[in-house]
Amino acid sequence: MKTEPRTYEPTVPIWCAGCGHFGVLSALQKALRDLGIPQHEVLVLAGIGCSGTIQNYLGTYGYHALHGRVLPAATGVALANPELTVIGAGGDGDGYAIGMGHLVHAFRRNTPFTYVLMNNETYGLTKGQRSPSRRADGRSVREGSVDGPLLGLSIPATTFVARGYSGWYEQLAQLTVAALEHARGGHGFAFLEVISPCVTYQDTYPEWEQVLHDVDRDPGYDPADRGAALALAASLVAEGRLAAGLLFRAEAVAPPEAPVPARVPIADAGLVARYEALLDRYAVGARPEPSRPRAAPVE
Amino acid sequence: MTPHPRDDIGVMVAGQGGDGSLTLASLLGDVMGARGYELYQARNVASRVKGGHAAAYLRASLARRGGLGDRFDLLIAFDAEAIEQGSPRLDDHGYVVYDASEGPVARDRLPAGATVLEVPFGRLAVRDLRRDLYKNSLAFGVAARLFSVSDADAEAALRHSLRRLAGPLVDANVRALERGFGYADGHGLATGAGPWALASAERGDRILISGNEAVAFGFLAAGGRFFAGYPITPASEILEWLSARLPEFGGVAVQAEDELAAINMALGAAMTGTRAMTASSGPGIALMQETVSHLGSAEVGVVVVDCQRSGPSTGMPTKPEQSDLGMLVWGSSGDFPRVVLAPGDPADAFELGALATDLAERFQGPVLIALDQMVSQDLATVERLDPGSVEIDRGALLREAELATLGEYRRYRVEDDGISRWAPAGTWGGQSLVTGNERDEWGRVSTQPANRIRMVDKRARKLETILPDLPRAREAGDPEADVALLGFGMQTGVTREAAERLAAAGRPVRVFQPRTLWPVLEDVRELARACRRVYVVEHNASAQYAHVLAGAGLPNERLESVLRYDGQPFRPGELAAHVLEREAA
Repeated sequence: MKTEPRTYEPTVPIWCAGCGHFGVLSALQKALRDLGIPQHEVLVLAGIGCSGTIQNYLGTYGYHALHGRVLPAATGVALANPELTVIGAGGDGDGYAIGMGHLVHAFRRNTPFTYVLMNNETYGLTKGQRSPSRRADGRSVREGSVDGPLLGLSIPATTFVARGYSGWYEQLAQLTVAALEHARGGHGFAFLEVISPCVTYQDTYPEWEQVLHDVDRDPGYDPADRGAALALAASLVAEGRLAAGLLFRAEAVAPPEAPVPARVPIADAGLVARYEALLDRYAVGARPEPSRPRAAPVE
Repeated sequence: MTPHPRDDIGVMVAGQGGDGSLTLASLLGDVMGARGYELYQARNVASRVKGGHAAAYLRASLARRGGLGDRFDLLIAFDAEAIEQGSPRLDDHGYVVYDASEGPVARDRLPAGATVLEVPFGRLAVRDLRRDLYKNSLAFGVAARLFSVSDADAEAALRHSLRRLAGPLVDANVRALERGFGYADGHGLATGAGPWALASAERGDRILISGNEAVAFGFLAAGGRFFAGYPITPASEILEWLSARLPEFGGVAVQAEDELAAINMALGAAMTGTRAMTASSGPGIALMQETVSHLGSAEVGVVVVDCQRSGPSTGMPTKPEQSDLGMLVWGSSGDFPRVVLAPGDPADAFELGALATDLAERFQGPVLIALDQMVSQDLATVERLDPGSVEIDRGALLREAELATLGEYRRYRVEDDGISRWAPAGTWGGQSLVTGNERDEWGRVSTQPANRIRMVDKRARKLETILPDLPRAREAGDPEADVALLGFGMQTGVTREAAERLAAAGRPVRVFQPRTLWPVLEDVRELARACRRVYVVEHNASAQYAHVLAGAGLPNERLESVLRYDGQPFRPGELAAHVLEREAA
């Protein structure tokens, strides 16, 4: 039996005691374990911020992206090797501020990978500046806020939207598994926002039980109904509340056949013949052919 | 008339967009290419969707020139603006074929010795063929007679170029061609008896191709399988070509939402062991700068192509320039090793495109290719590209079997040659942390001073390791001359041709085309030692390459800049005259 080489030791989290991110890490570890995914088949891409250290704690392949660029990097990975379990992770500054442009396109493109966005409504690593998801309070916070799941629901190509809360661990673990299964099944982009309070700069733990409306506790809620999900999320935002749980999962359809560029042999004979045929189109001085009407297309 | 044989021909065709100027120039190129001429085709279009003035230039010469000459012999003008634009470079004894549908030609603008054929193309096409659309086929008939091409050869060329169209459309164009012959008959231009005759030369297997397409061919031949880009002139052809072709080769091309996404997608793909590239022009490359530095720090190999256009900012999108060089060599944050290559023609673009693709993965960092609008978009004949000439070396890439024997794997292990072994994501046993932060050998973030120095030095050593593999300059002219013309990219053809003129004028020069702009190689240092004066010919206002060379320790007093930034290429005669004048002083 072959022996795995010794690789890096996962490091100890830099997070403050009580940080919501511990719940996210724990849910992710449990999901990977429960789904039986070998560590070498997982690549966790994390952004910049406190949340952007999560890749160091797992023992999988880990990548530390530039600020805001988790989604394009993860898209490149997932397209180049769809056999991998690709997990993007980051905070609300990374995903809703500097990287917001990419989020819209990740929904629209629906490339199969998971994105866990840890929303604490603040920039913890740079000591407490306001983030775009900070809810207005009419006093010090006058700018409006971004609701990522609501945004995702508004894009027709979206296939998976969920919101968890690190205070509700069991549900978070289930949502993490559901997101990974959606992406690993090739169904598309799985977006999981986790309300993950910052105990140091934005301790909102006391609020969330009242603010969050958990659809998973509503037996009448149908997560396959995009219109209802969108309407509920929008009406809750208008009341100053947020929807939580498995908000929307499109009916599973067979994923399209995806190439695996990472596995293509570079100098395959068939590819060389195709290459030469392509070059023929650029030939100079080829003998003019007699003109013929265009052939009927072959069925 | 006794046809005069020509070994160097220049043609300009111009009119409103939609007049078919580009098609007509290509048709003439087909005829001349089939006779063994080397071709160079350029176009000059406004940066807009449709319409605006469009000009196509064709140079056909028995010697391979790689650029336009000083003059053209034939100006085919579909409107008065074409006369205005073309007349300054029309040969004193040139021919003008003018669409007289709108009125008489402005003779006072043309050289006195020029011959004008006023043909009411538009009117004839509408009256006889009911479509204005056919006027370029009509003009082709007149042009074929001027070059004493037989009517049968002209028709065969037209039919060949239209072979993908439906029969009735082809027939209508052939009728237009015949109208052109008829007009020529009425004006004393009998078949086979024009003012000029074409030579006939035997050639090997050649292709006519742009640098953008050639660089994509090179990428593909070197195993490139992932491309992401965002549309921008003059780089879009790379995105379009690879979007169409990569899927046929098991690869993926993505049109990203912006350049930030494009380069980061390429980075993601590269981490899986998929050879990856992105391409843009100055404004987009500027957006990519943060990731260029990140590639250098995180040690991920990606090819970045910059099809330079006139800057600054949005500048003149359709015009050539070489003013991104400072950004390519020095841009972005921090110290990190990078390579900047500069091909001078499509064959070179293929070769360096392939080399860059291989090198990026081996050296685990950014390899930048500096094209410019001319090398990117102009078409030139080159020997058929040979994918068999491309060497593929996966470098320090680790596979499962090797990992099983290692005992221990550190992603950023400090090696003598600076190149750490690496496992693409997904490889059993290769779990690792990749980051742009400073880190220890295991990939764990570290600010420890001794580690920092070891890591900066390790990355820098990679550049020394690959020095022997970097492409050396190409030379022409007189190797013994004490004066040199140095120019990269779009200057390649024109400096060589200027050197021929200078040799004929008794002032031989050495011609030097650097192909690695960064790092500065020994070859260009040797040049500056051997020559008392090196004319550094570049398209920018601030002598960017001369500054790079001087910064690398080349003697400033021997470097003399020859600059241009009006969006127009140097012409060989102008360059030769400049050097003659300067050397006489």
